[in-house]
Amino acid sequence: MDLVQKEHDRLQKRLKASQGIKNVQSTIDLLQHARDAIAQDPNQAAVTLAKLQNPVKSSFDLINDSLKETHSRFNKYTKSLDKLFKDRPLPSTEHDVLSEQEHLIDRAIAMHLLREGQFSVAATFLSEILDKKAMVQTSESTSRSTDQAAIVFDIDEVPSDEIRKQFGQMYYILHQLKEEKNLLPAIEWSRENREALEARGSNLEFELCRLQFVWLYHGEEHEHGNTPGDVKAAMQYARTEFQGFAPRYLREVQQLMGAMAFCPNLRDSPYASIFNNPSAWDDVAHFFTREFCSLLGLSADSPLYIAATAGAIALPTLLKLQTIMKAKRTEWTSENELPVEISLPPSYLFHSIFVCPVSKEQATDENPPMMMPCGHVIAEESLRRLSKGNRFKCPYCPNESHPKDARKVFL
Amino acid sequence: MAAELTSIKLNPESHLILDQPLLRLPHELARRNFKTVQRSVEREKEYVLPALKEAANASLSNTHTPDQTLAALDAMISRMQGLKRKMQSLQEEEKKIQTQSRKRIQHLETLHKIPSLADVKYDQWSRVRLDRLLVDHMLRSGYSDSAKQLAKDREIEDLVDLGVFTQCQRVVESLRRGETKEALQWCGENKAALKKSQHNLEFELRLQQYIEMVRTKDLSKKVEAISHARKYLSLNPESQKDEVNQVAGLLVFTQDSRAEKYKSLFSPDRWKYLSDLFVQTHHELLSLPSQPLLHIALSAGLSALKTPLCHSAYTSSSSNSQSTSTSVCPICSTELNELARRMPYAHHSKSYVESDAIVLPNGRVYGKSRLLEISKNVGSVETGKVKDPTTGEVFDEKEMKKVYIM
Repeated sequence: MDLVQKEHDRLQKRLKASQGIKNVQSTIDLLQHARDAIAQDPNQAAVTLAKLQNPVKSSFDLINDSLKETHSRFNKYTKSLDKLFKDRPLPSTEHDVLSEQEHLIDRAIAMHLLREGQFSVAATFLSEILDKKAMVQTSESTSRSTDQAAIVFDIDEVPSDEIRKQFGQMYYILHQLKEEKNLLPAIEWSRENREALEARGSNLEFELCRLQFVWLYHGEEHEHGNTPGDVKAAMQYARTEFQGFAPRYLREVQQLMGAMAFCPNLRDSPYASIFNNPSAWDDVAHFFTREFCSLLGLSADSPLYIAATAGAIALPTLLKLQTIMKAKRTEWTSENELPVEISLPPSYLFHSIFVCPVSKEQATDENPPMMMPCGHVIAEESLRRLSKGNRFKCPYCPNESHPKDARKVFL
Repeated sequence: MAAELTSIKLNPESHLILDQPLLRLPHELARRNFKTVQRSVEREKEYVLPALKEAANASLSNTHTPDQTLAALDAMISRMQGLKRKMQSLQEEEKKIQTQSRKRIQHLETLHKIPSLADVKYDQWSRVRLDRLLVDHMLRSGYSDSAKQLAKDREIEDLVDLGVFTQCQRVVESLRRGETKEALQWCGENKAALKKSQHNLEFELRLQQYIEMVRTKDLSKKVEAISHARKYLSLNPESQKDEVNQVAGLLVFTQDSRAEKYKSLFSPDRWKYLSDLFVQTHHELLSLPSQPLLHIALSAGLSALKTPLCHSAYTSSSSNSQSTSTSVCPICSTELNELARRMPYAHHSKSYVESDAIVLPNGRVYGKSRLLEISKNVGSVETGKVKDPTTGEVFDEKEMKKVYIM
């Protein structure tokens, strides 16, 4: 990369210093001069023109020399690029499964734009997709009308207006929360979805209300430094709102109330961390986003972003694999599984993974993990192979059991 | 621990695989620009030097009047001035390209300052990359307005090639409409570079023009078609023997011919073929990958992330919308689920489960502390009971059984 930068610097400098245009101008001057001289004294024409031959020629040579030098700079930069990307061609595109599923990609992009809050781009994008579909449909309507119908149906399915509205709401709430420090829309949303949130074991509503309490306590943003906030308003809020939380969040509510006793000097109290948490707003905003997306069945971070990033991380390994396989002319043995392990950062692991310790294969629906009575887990196929239908010893402990006592587990 | 550290290590050089076109394309453009300069200088040189010589000789042997000499000189001067103007405008163009390249190099350079994949800066960088990939995909699919808007919103106009693709798209659209003019013009502009190309775009375009002439059934048009064929289609009679023979045959067959060869030549699908061929040639010339970069990134990424659980018939208990302590897996998320269905899943050689795994009577495996935490937060569960967040069943805490996963 350094080399590329250096070569590019040189190229740019060279281009700046290039005398090409200046030389052209001097050629023009030469010609102009001769013309003027001839115009003045037509008798000198032959001599003037004869004298002109060499200077014009050499001025052209100058231009060419200058160009040649630039040309070699260009070549050097090309070489530095080649070097940077050497051994790293883009993967070959023998079977590009994705291009057959263009509409699914478009759908994913539209969803991505919506969830990133790029509503106007998303709107443009969707309308352009529809335009294209319409165009394709009219031009091919005669030949393959049934196929077309299916594709159009697919694209209309999602992202529907409903999803768009949902994300619109999400961004409104987030905006209020982050920019205006207004928690009320978020609280209202969490009330409306209380049941679903509770089923998830989410305490979003309480977190929001607690922050609201803290916010009331601090009063309008610390304008005058350490003014004691509006304790009264906070207490009033607690009285009306915390009733419902009492059974589940008794301890937390008690903490908040207890903190009130330290009112003027909360900073030095054991409760300081609750009241002076600088990242509280960001945390809550993040929490809210995650819950909101989860209720829609979506992951909190854009899947497209995660997948593309994971792809960039995985590519070097996959490319290496491709070269090796090409050299050895082998194919993958198991078609559904990548033949190499790709180490992604831990934050990219979303599922538990079960690899059978006997067969070293990943569990699938067809070959699920089975737990023997001793608590050890192996894949079903390994179980069958080890037991042959009879009592057998667990490969990991002295325990013996019958295969029919093994139970399927779900990770 | 060591494994964890290597997995977040960022190797910037190998990380740049997707970013080759970012530098290659402007360089290709700059080179083309430069070649135009070279060619026009060469052309003027070839005109001015002989002209000057001729003028000198003529004036020496007195065959030219002074006025004629002056006129000859004037012609030379005006041509040189034309050259100067051309070079100036090309230089402007070149400046633009080079500043753009510079910004792109700087963008890639920032990656070298990021220590690990877990760094916030990497996150930002990668988001910019995704936006670039999206713009690339949109441009290739012909969604130019969206691409422009996105590039503008994200302030990455210098990192994407709006101009190149918009121009390409314009030609594609003209071909779809059944017009060859713009495509031929493009061929003219890139004549030198096209000689190396293995596709004979220009021949195919000329052939299409010929077909359109023959199609009319008008006799005068047919005569025109023959001279057109003589002019453009018989340049390499040896290597294109078959085609040339077919061209001749076309004169006899009519549109509703059932002979396969001629039928396909008359077919309107040929326009689609031409526009595809144009895109292919165009991308090759500018060393652009034939496939959107987004596809490359996604197909690698989907596989790297995918687990057998993502398309399992049973709801996974480790990551789903029902439990709060994990976020939804991107492959399980509706956006990508269908897309990933035909991808291979990632290879793992080790199990990966929470260390305090327990199994519930229904066979569901959870981390114990996580399950207790969830159950505590679910209002409806009494103390001493746990609730399976996936199925909603409630069990006694005593029913949790330790499970050993190696």
